[in-house]
Amino acid sequence: MKILIKNGTLCTMAAQTEETKGDILIEDGKIAAIDREIRDQDAETIDASGLYVMPGMIDAHTHIGLFDFNNEHAVDDANEMTNPVTIAVDARYGVNPKAREFRAAYEHGITTLLITPGSGDVFCGLPFALKTYGDNVFDMSIKAPCAVKIALGGNPKNTYGDRKQLPMTRMGVAHVLRDTFRRAKEYLEKKERQEKVDYDADMEALCLALEGEIPCKVHCTQYDMLTAIEICKEFGVRFSLEHAWGATDYIDEIAESGCDVCYGPIATYRTCGERRKIDIEAVKELDERGVNVALVTDSPILSEESLYHHIGEAVREGVAQERAIRMVTVNAAKVLGVEERIGTLEVGKDADIILVKGRLGLDTDAKVQYTLIDGKIVYKNA
Amino acid sequence: MKEENTMYIIKNGRIHIGNGTVLEHGDILIRGTKIEKVAENIEIQDAEVIDASGKEVFPGFIDPHSAIGAMGIPSRVVDTDETYQPITAELNIKYSIDPDEVNEQEFYKSGITTIGCAPRNYNIFGGQVAAFKTAPQKMAMRLVKEHAALKGSVEAGVKHVYGGRKQAPMTRMGILQMFQNAIGDARRAEEKSNDQKVICEVFDQKTMPVFVAAETKGEMDSLLHILKEEQVEKVIVDGFCFGDCVEEMKAQNVGLILGNVNAMSQIKKHDMKMEKLVELAENGNLVAFTNTCSGNSEGREVFIWSAIEAYRAGVDAEKVVEMMTLSPAKMLGIANRIGTIEEGKDADISIFSGHPVTTYAAKVERSIVNGEVIV
Repeated sequence: MKILIKNGTLCTMAAQTEETKGDILIEDGKIAAIDREIRDQDAETIDASGLYVMPGMIDAHTHIGLFDFNNEHAVDDANEMTNPVTIAVDARYGVNPKAREFRAAYEHGITTLLITPGSGDVFCGLPFALKTYGDNVFDMSIKAPCAVKIALGGNPKNTYGDRKQLPMTRMGVAHVLRDTFRRAKEYLEKKERQEKVDYDADMEALCLALEGEIPCKVHCTQYDMLTAIEICKEFGVRFSLEHAWGATDYIDEIAESGCDVCYGPIATYRTCGERRKIDIEAVKELDERGVNVALVTDSPILSEESLYHHIGEAVREGVAQERAIRMVTVNAAKVLGVEERIGTLEVGKDADIILVKGRLGLDTDAKVQYTLIDGKIVYKNA
Repeated sequence: MKEENTMYIIKNGRIHIGNGTVLEHGDILIRGTKIEKVAENIEIQDAEVIDASGKEVFPGFIDPHSAIGAMGIPSRVVDTDETYQPITAELNIKYSIDPDEVNEQEFYKSGITTIGCAPRNYNIFGGQVAAFKTAPQKMAMRLVKEHAALKGSVEAGVKHVYGGRKQAPMTRMGILQMFQNAIGDARRAEEKSNDQKVICEVFDQKTMPVFVAAETKGEMDSLLHILKEEQVEKVIVDGFCFGDCVEEMKAQNVGLILGNVNAMSQIKKHDMKMEKLVELAENGNLVAFTNTCSGNSEGREVFIWSAIEAYRAGVDAEKVVEMMTLSPAKMLGIANRIGTIEEGKDADISIFSGHPVTTYAAKVERSIVNGEVIV
């Protein structure tokens, strides 16, 4: 099965390439060729004249199918809040595969999501990444786990503070965080010395981060991000700051730490505490400082389609449209650790491709005309 | 504070009047707090010139239904919900408005210069809406109108509050019955309580419109069934299923303050038919946007996002602008003062670098409220 996308304006998001007119040949779900002009009589042809051809977009922080607001009573399968340390619970087992947001995603050109537990515990569980089209999350999944999800601040401290249990405070959260890392480090060292250890699923999961196989995704805002940076550096794990409201006050610390930032969602009301500063303008400065930044919706807290608005708000704050699109394609792929497969249009990568009328993030009425996932047309605008 | 007769001329902007029309190259003369003249080429000595060449000039946007601003955060019991009983029609939100809470939202950055502060959705009749300007000025300058609308609600939030206490109403049947009885009892009562006096004034003398929150098709159909014979001006708040109730809304000429559609996936949840906004607008129903959803406020950004969703669904851009300006002003009964850029109106004006309905690359460069340059 071959598909040839003809005469589109290619926005490949690959390094150092400018928009060009060209064709893309898809074969067996992968991008087989990209060129000025490709001829292939066996291929089904899609005319992309007047359309922008881009990699499918990626939302690097959602809770789709874990939080479910589709019915009268909200469902929370995102928080196993029985213990502040529930590292090993796997988001795949909590997701409602029939959540309506999957369809909203691919109809809007969002082809990959990270779905994460959280953020009611200090260690919330294991996020995974999946393609948005399909009927079985295990088949749709492309990387599991993607990270260890951690949360600082008000969510865990309110969960356990209400019960008069540790952690009730931010210093308590930092203590749980450090203490758990220390235990995992000892667990790992024992295993490396080939000493006998009692199997501990939580410690096994955190070892993946200590060994560098997956990063930690740390929910934090405002001054909590300094705690995240300090403790993650102390244990030598890769990490991203999630949400990161207030990042404009900590640009130097973020840039020096080498972490990624998943910024969003915005559009909360402003008040004291964690909501004091909502500063999407931070992504401009972070991007200029070389930080890998992704824009995220936290869907279904905000709608999945609000990813457009988040790209747009970055543009409103002066980010070039092409840089803003990188924040939901190639940058987000790096956050997920799947940049070998998705995030750019390059030969050999998954054929997750969208054809768009208008410029996403600039033209408010830009509309996806086709969405392809693994080389299959999963959406076509009637 | 500005001098009483300070004059500004906003020169050569693309002026969106607010009523659906655009003046391609126009000047606006502001004297004191008011717009004195709108025309091409106004020349007046002593007026400070604000160059708006290449810019888009809009009347201040109006969010006619905002909980934020009157919540009194971080108080544990917020100031919008007097839920000791389900009918508190007499209450005036004016006394709950926290000007600092309004200031903190930086509404001007989204071009919003007036909000209708409102009780949330937890009471059948929760109290009265007040129109309030968003710029940090003296309170007397900020309060545009109190008793601007009576806020009601028939959405599920009411039964969650009272049902949770094992009190009426516990069901939608209970909600709608109580809503209907509140009006009937007020009319029948020989000795009317203060709440009943307000309800009678509203429904019989039409002293102000009713803003009633309803979200699902069942809630909206039921509400419209009860209000069918009522002559008061009716506005539905949130109204996510409006697309399924268009015919009845047209027949009763009901206004719509569309809730924040980006909160919790409302479009997908309700299979919303956003394109039906075109039909409502063509019929002359007033439509407006708000930062709230189910009574809960979010940030200033969602106001423009909802407007963008309307534009994406096919509503003409200038009609969308009218939904952000003149239509909410009419709903609040303050179109004599704000909502358009016309002579005699309050000088509430935002100068954008682009058209915020059609492009994201649109930033507020100047915000003017009551003739004072805020930014």
